[in-house]
Amino acid sequence: MRQWAAFVKKEGLELLRSGRLFLLLLLFCLVGVMNPAMAKLTPWLMGLVSEQLAESGMMVGEIVVDAMTAWTQFYKNMPIMLLVMVVMFGGTVVVELQKGTLIPIVAKGMKRGRILGAKALSAAAVWTGGSILSFAITYAYSAYFWDNGIAAHLFFGAFCFWLFGIWLLSVFLPASSFANSTAAVILTVGICFAVSYVLGLIPAVKSYSPAYLLESLPLLTGEMTTGDYTAALCVTAGLTVFHMIAGVWLFNRKQL
Amino acid sequence: MMNILTLSHVKKAFGTSEILHDVSISVPEHSVFGFIGQNGAGKTTCMKMVLGLLQPDGGDILVKEEPVVYGQNQTNRYIGYLPDVPEFYGFMTPTEYLAMCGEITGMRREEIRKKSAQLLDLVGLTTANKRIKGFSRGMKQRLGIAQALLNGPELLICDEPTSALDPVGRKEILEVLHAVRERTTVLFSTHILSDVERICDRIAFLHDGKIVLNGTLEEMRTKRRGGNVALEFASSEEAERFLRLFGSGKRESAQRVLLENGVAEDRTSLWRCLMNGSFDLERMERTEPTLEDLFMEVTGR
Repeated sequence: MRQWAAFVKKEGLELLRSGRLFLLLLLFCLVGVMNPAMAKLTPWLMGLVSEQLAESGMMVGEIVVDAMTAWTQFYKNMPIMLLVMVVMFGGTVVVELQKGTLIPIVAKGMKRGRILGAKALSAAAVWTGGSILSFAITYAYSAYFWDNGIAAHLFFGAFCFWLFGIWLLSVFLPASSFANSTAAVILTVGICFAVSYVLGLIPAVKSYSPAYLLESLPLLTGEMTTGDYTAALCVTAGLTVFHMIAGVWLFNRKQL
Repeated sequence: MMNILTLSHVKKAFGTSEILHDVSISVPEHSVFGFIGQNGAGKTTCMKMVLGLLQPDGGDILVKEEPVVYGQNQTNRYIGYLPDVPEFYGFMTPTEYLAMCGEITGMRREEIRKKSAQLLDLVGLTTANKRIKGFSRGMKQRLGIAQALLNGPELLICDEPTSALDPVGRKEILEVLHAVRERTTVLFSTHILSDVERICDRIAFLHDGKIVLNGTLEEMRTKRRGGNVALEFASSEEAERFLRLFGSGKRESAQRVLLENGVAEDRTSLWRCLMNGSFDLERMERTEPTLEDLFMEVTGR
């Protein structure tokens, strides 16, 4: 436990001193503010372009924005943050292997699984903290400007997206053992995303794919209920656990 | 004396190229063991296998009579390791880094504080409590020794600790290694032979994936002490006259003649020749084989 805590502390210190934590939290805040801001600005933006549109024969009617517009923005912007997370954390193990910084640590008798555990925890913690930050800011502004009541299952929808993020980030655990560069790890994460996305297009299996968790709009409008996501949630959680186990198994066998 | 480290018939290949065919060495406790070999001979590979970082393809490795297990290596608790190019977390200070290492090895907080201060003093980094990012190669090497010695290891493994350092840095590292020998057995790999002569008491030569020479420095010297005799004459003419009269010998330089092993053993005829010819002899010495000679001999150069 102390070994693990020591490495977690090191990860935290690295995030803090490299400025990555600050940058990420800043971006999460920015996204949080942008969601309602974009919604608020939409009528004004449309007003600006309406004349040009009118010239080409298109008429802009009255635009109604409400909390739903802000939440739609939330689900459009958060994938960008997930991508940023993948890029920032994709190299966390591989870079250390390349530099050789893990060698003195492992030679000290550090259990390899604990290294991965600490890395996974720091990525998960940043993703969780960042998601909460974005969600809370969007929630607060939407409540101030409009009424969050029109969007159903707000918390559950955000939870689904959060879990999808955790699953996608967990891919770097096994990928770091067989990929030799940050780019290869990110590529592996990309492939996993693509596979789950394609599976999400096939009607027969779509409700089991992790990508199904991204379909939040029907949830917000109340077309679907939380029960519809059970299968995808179970599969995603199961795969995440599998990635962790496979990651440790592979890492224990990796020649350093 | 107990062996702290034993490798028997260790083999290792990377893909199709076999790096180590059959490596067997024993390192007795409280010795400074020099592990010598050319670049790429497989010294680092050997050391990494001892640490359980690489998996041997065959053979056994024992540390304090306990087998080394690849992956999760419990015997690492006896070992301190200094990699050839030690890399640390640049965002930490040496004290922070040592504290983390101490926590990983399960030392108590108070113990870590005391030992860190002691070791930083030993390696001369007391005043350098800035982030490791700005450290020179030599400073990193010294911090490497400090982290390797932190948990009071019984075996200190150093991979080419002096290779990349300037003469001052080298001297400092060798002094530190020499100073810790009281408590710790030191195994260090190198291709700098003068370092070996300076501090080692046992050596092993690794060549072509095998141990070709192994023993104490003294043994090695005596075994190879052929008793070559070198004669230095006052002029080249004298040297030439000697060669004509004595009948054998090798001209090393204008005034210097080397009598190799067999020739020099027949002392009587050498004395007689020198007396009879009344040569103007300036110097006569029995030459000791240097480690370099041994190295050249075993590597077939």
